[in-house]
Amino acid sequence: MTASSVLAATSNSGAEIVFWVCATLAVIGAVGMILSKKPVHSALFVALTMINLAILYVALSAPFLGMVQIIVYTGAVMMLFVFVMMIVGVDASDSLIETIKGQRWAAIVLVLGFAAMLIGAIVNGLQGVPDPSLVAANAEYGGNLQGIAKIIFTDYVIAFEVTSALLIVAALGAMLLTHRERHTPKATQEERSKARFLRYAATSELPGNLPPAGTYARHNAIDTPALAPDGSTVPASVPGPLRERGNVRPVDVAAEVEVEEISEGKTVVAPINDEDGEQR
Amino acid sequence: MNSLLAAGTSPEFALPSIEYRLISPILLVLGMAVISVLVEAFVPRAHRRVVQLVLTFSTLIVALILVVMLAGQRAVTAAGSLAVDGPALFMQGTLLVLALMAALLVAERGVDPAGDAFAARANALPGSIDEREFTKRGWLTTEVWCLFLFSVGGMMLFVTGTDLLILFVALEIMSLPLYLLAGIARRRRLLSQEAAMKYFLLGAFSSGFFLYGSALLYGFAGTVDLGGIADAITANAGQNGLLIAGTALIAVGLFFKVAAVPFHQWAPDVYQGSPTAITAFMASCVKVAAFGAMLRIMYVALGGVRWDWRPMFWVIAILTMFVGSIIALTQTDVKRMLAYSSVAHAGFLLIAVVATNEEGLAGAMFYLLAYGVATIGGFGVITLVRDSTGEATHLSSWAGLGKRSPWVAGAFAVFLLSFAGIPLTAGFIGKFAVFEAGVAGGAGWLVVAAVLASAIAVFFYGRVIVILLFSVPAADGPTVVVPSSFTAFAIAAGLSLTVVLGIIPQPFLDLAEKASIFVR
Repeated sequence: MTASSVLAATSNSGAEIVFWVCATLAVIGAVGMILSKKPVHSALFVALTMINLAILYVALSAPFLGMVQIIVYTGAVMMLFVFVMMIVGVDASDSLIETIKGQRWAAIVLVLGFAAMLIGAIVNGLQGVPDPSLVAANAEYGGNLQGIAKIIFTDYVIAFEVTSALLIVAALGAMLLTHRERHTPKATQEERSKARFLRYAATSELPGNLPPAGTYARHNAIDTPALAPDGSTVPASVPGPLRERGNVRPVDVAAEVEVEEISEGKTVVAPINDEDGEQR
Repeated sequence: MNSLLAAGTSPEFALPSIEYRLISPILLVLGMAVISVLVEAFVPRAHRRVVQLVLTFSTLIVALILVVMLAGQRAVTAAGSLAVDGPALFMQGTLLVLALMAALLVAERGVDPAGDAFAARANALPGSIDEREFTKRGWLTTEVWCLFLFSVGGMMLFVTGTDLLILFVALEIMSLPLYLLAGIARRRRLLSQEAAMKYFLLGAFSSGFFLYGSALLYGFAGTVDLGGIADAITANAGQNGLLIAGTALIAVGLFFKVAAVPFHQWAPDVYQGSPTAITAFMASCVKVAAFGAMLRIMYVALGGVRWDWRPMFWVIAILTMFVGSIIALTQTDVKRMLAYSSVAHAGFLLIAVVATNEEGLAGAMFYLLAYGVATIGGFGVITLVRDSTGEATHLSSWAGLGKRSPWVAGAFAVFLLSFAGIPLTAGFIGKFAVFEAGVAGGAGWLVVAAVLASAIAVFFYGRVIVILLFSVPAADGPTVVVPSSFTAFAIAAGLSLTVVLGIIPQPFLDLAEKASIFVR
């Protein structure tokens, strides 16, 4: 659409300013979308383009299309893009290594040639094209929305209806490719409980929650293993890093020594050396 | 905004006249596709396959009967958006016959010990424990049938639609299910997913070209109706930038779908990666649908500017025939070879588009039928030649197949002969009809080029036949699996139709000639 044809539609200086501002911003958005390296920036540039197109539609007396452009494209589709990017990770950037040598330059040359050809053809074709504004069409149907409704449900009713097939296929395809199902039914609480006790019978792995460190033991310090009801120690009750460093207090032996020491009036807790030998 | 909210005095709302009888085959197929989605939702997993099979086959057969009953109708219906005429009905019939044959291949369950041709669960990662569990439990992706029916419905709409808007919607209904179907092969899943990705991205790109072209033609004519565009061309004599650019862009979108050079790059990868049954469906039916739409657009809407677009089609046709035939010579994979062969066939079919006469239309319709049955039969044979990893598609492993399984190798040889256009096969009659139309349409030199390309093609098909029948079989070669009656019936149907269309073509040619006038 050339400036002159839009101007013919609106024929006042306000509309002229709207066209030049919106058209410039739309083109900047489109170029920025391609040139920006970060996908989120690209998405926001697309949103810029779409909002400006929407304003141009409204300026051409197509308010319904303008609103749909904002609500559906800018509001829903673009936000969906951004969601997907956030899920994939905003840092994920495309590899810019050319797999085909010289592809980028060839693409740029061809795109410029293609654009020049298209612009030439369109400028040539737009000579003598009547007023593109929908003012006359809206008047014929008694309003923009009424006109669109009339056309959708008369001339293009089949296209409108079969678009539903397209949406069904899209939904079905999304389900097919992403919906996860279980190949085995989820275990119930009863089944899991039984399995726990059977495992306890076979390997004496405790069926219940792990006791916190120090339970039933001499100390309730974090490095003291809990004692099971049968008197054995539960090494897993001590946090993993302590176990890895070998800082688990050997309850059974130490307890006896400590009892002796306490009865002789000596220190209550023996110092334990860290890896770096520092006392704590 | 006031105009949006104002309760205007709208003219009386007149309901559009839709002759439901005329479009009943399309409505049936699309309606049953929706029902098959409901089957997925409500029928227990164990029974889905049987229900879907019954539903699909009965739908296709009833739709075919409806199409036959409509024979001879000529009307534009549905508020001028669908043209039910000879070419539309002939191609709907062709599509349904080919879809029935392809459905037989899709239904096959006997050749792969693990199940049918599709991944047990499309979303289980390839090689994962989940995938193994699903496969062990014998899960099947029965959604394949819904997608299959939707795609057939879209194709039928594509050959019937007579305005650019509905053609675009039909193009998408046809393509979207195919993008999905291409990506859910059971074997070599990464290759299959790569194929689906390539097909989807390039397909979406080409749809963009089609849409841009439609927009420019609307800008030229002020209507998307094909007849309306033709009227606008008659009214505005002389060159018009919008018209020329729109024509070129629409043609690019369609060239992609028929895999014409230089828009053919996707075809070998997609044909190779997709499940072979789907490749058969795609190679035959998409070509019918896309040529159906291309013939309608070029004949009905743009016939008035044929002097402008014919040079472009000449170049594309010659490139397509030669590139397809020559590169096919160098292929070592049977599926890729058939892909390039299908590229070459697109070139021969473009001659019929260039001809822009009734003979061209009739010839193209016959050619599409002949090519379609041989293609489905050929890919059907490919599903049978297997080793432990799935289909053995490398040409070297096919060496000497004739010594071990003369019937299967013989059938494949017949399909190749038909592709090559050897007399007494359907392919010969098809090529002859198209070449004749080309000469009548003033494209004599194009036909000369086509004959040269055919000679190259004969050489490469002949080479494959020699490898197949006369070389020494490899010791550890693949085995030829005995299929269930599904695939056997599909191959037998392809074989008999190829021979029958080759020996007694006249009734079919007469039918195509009678059907060869577009209604506006």
